[in-house]
Amino acid sequence: MKVSLAGVRAVRGDWSLSAEGTFGEGIHLVSGDVGSGKSTLALLLAGLFPQISGTVEREGIATTMIAFQFPEFHVTGPDLERECMAWGVDPAPVLAAAGLTGRMEEDPLNLSRGELKRLILACMLARDHDLLILDEPFSSLDCTEKERLCTTLSGRKRGITIIFTHEQTHLPRINRIWEIAGGMLSDRGQLPSALGHWDHAPAVVKNLIARGKIPANISQADLLEAACRT
Amino acid sequence: MITAERLRYRTIAIDNLRIEPGITSVIGPNGSGKTTLLKLLAGIAVPESGTILVNGVPPRNTEVGWVNEFPDRNILFGSAFEEIASPLRFRHSPCAEIEDRVGLCMQSVGITNLRTRPMQDLSGGEKVLVALAAALVFRPQVLVLDEYDSHLDGNRAREIARIIRKSRIPYVIHCTQDAEAAVSGDSVIFLEDGKVRYAGTPGTVFASLAGTVYYPLSWRCRA
Repeated sequence: MKVSLAGVRAVRGDWSLSAEGTFGEGIHLVSGDVGSGKSTLALLLAGLFPQISGTVEREGIATTMIAFQFPEFHVTGPDLERECMAWGVDPAPVLAAAGLTGRMEEDPLNLSRGELKRLILACMLARDHDLLILDEPFSSLDCTEKERLCTTLSGRKRGITIIFTHEQTHLPRINRIWEIAGGMLSDRGQLPSALGHWDHAPAVVKNLIARGKIPANISQADLLEAACRT
Repeated sequence: MITAERLRYRTIAIDNLRIEPGITSVIGPNGSGKTTLLKLLAGIAVPESGTILVNGVPPRNTEVGWVNEFPDRNILFGSAFEEIASPLRFRHSPCAEIEDRVGLCMQSVGITNLRTRPMQDLSGGEKVLVALAAALVFRPQVLVLDEYDSHLDGNRAREIARIIRKSRIPYVIHCTQDAEAAVSGDSVIFLEDGKVRYAGTPGTVFASLAGTVYYPLSWRCRA
């Protein structure tokens, strides 16, 4: 199972993004500055944004799901129960997983942004997807929910997970780091060797590396293990 | 000073809260009432009972800059320039002054490249930066920011925090899920179930949160 980009170029007005590389099974993290093209690449990988040149090949992928940066873009149901049903999932357990039990009749657009994010992610993650693309999945979630999401993502036994995020503190164990800069996607490689040349690394990771304590990965457990290493 | 007394509004129940001038971070679980409290501080919502006052006057009687947690809900106009100019135009500022101040503000926030870009074409982070510039351009007394940092990369978030600090706006109140950002402010309010559970300096509030997921990772990694 893999997604391969060969000579891909996407254009929006006078801005463009070039991308090359292969996303195999496992968890990938893509970072980049504001406006660097993360969301555009996320859409392109999901088949929702056309490249003007190059090819995107999906091998062994039967189902694709993308979580948009803005959860409000996903809403189609007039209440939480029918929103869940629109995703084809059983409302009761999904609302319980999202911490929204007893609120079936509420309008999704009246939820707080964090609650809405929890709802959409719970609906999405209630089913299995070969290719799961998450655009800023941690934004608006509180620290408890961020850690819970990390656990859920780490528990995916198969498939490709690609996370586009600015999150600095709560991250799952990942397999590969990518960065977008200057209109180009770059593969920083596998963990932990990728950490040394990860420009957008969180300050905590950079500080640990500067102290010679290279973490094995970027989850909180890995960072604390490195920090406490003697 | 900002004061709230016997404040009741929807889930919010705050008997006594004092916010000194400076940068205050509001943290807490999803659904704890952070956005509701921010709306009260901005004058977008009015208390059902009790009072909230900024230097003795209601928020609606003072100049407040506001950035919504839903980036698209900040947008009224078609281009970044029009959006940032709008608070000055609503105040009937002279055209030349508007041109100058919007230009300086865009430069300060680092978005001069967005000047003529249609708002609908901007990324989430860029929309937040435009909204932030629109909130800063008229130099409000109170700047209320609802999780603006969750859409920004680490470097940009730190740069914006520096710009906000330098702006010398008397009261900056921002909601964040980033404990590292909250640490760098002057005071922290931890909300839970609509009530203030802890309030004070970052040192005292986070000492109370030691052992929880809200405790800053950088402090845990200092060992």
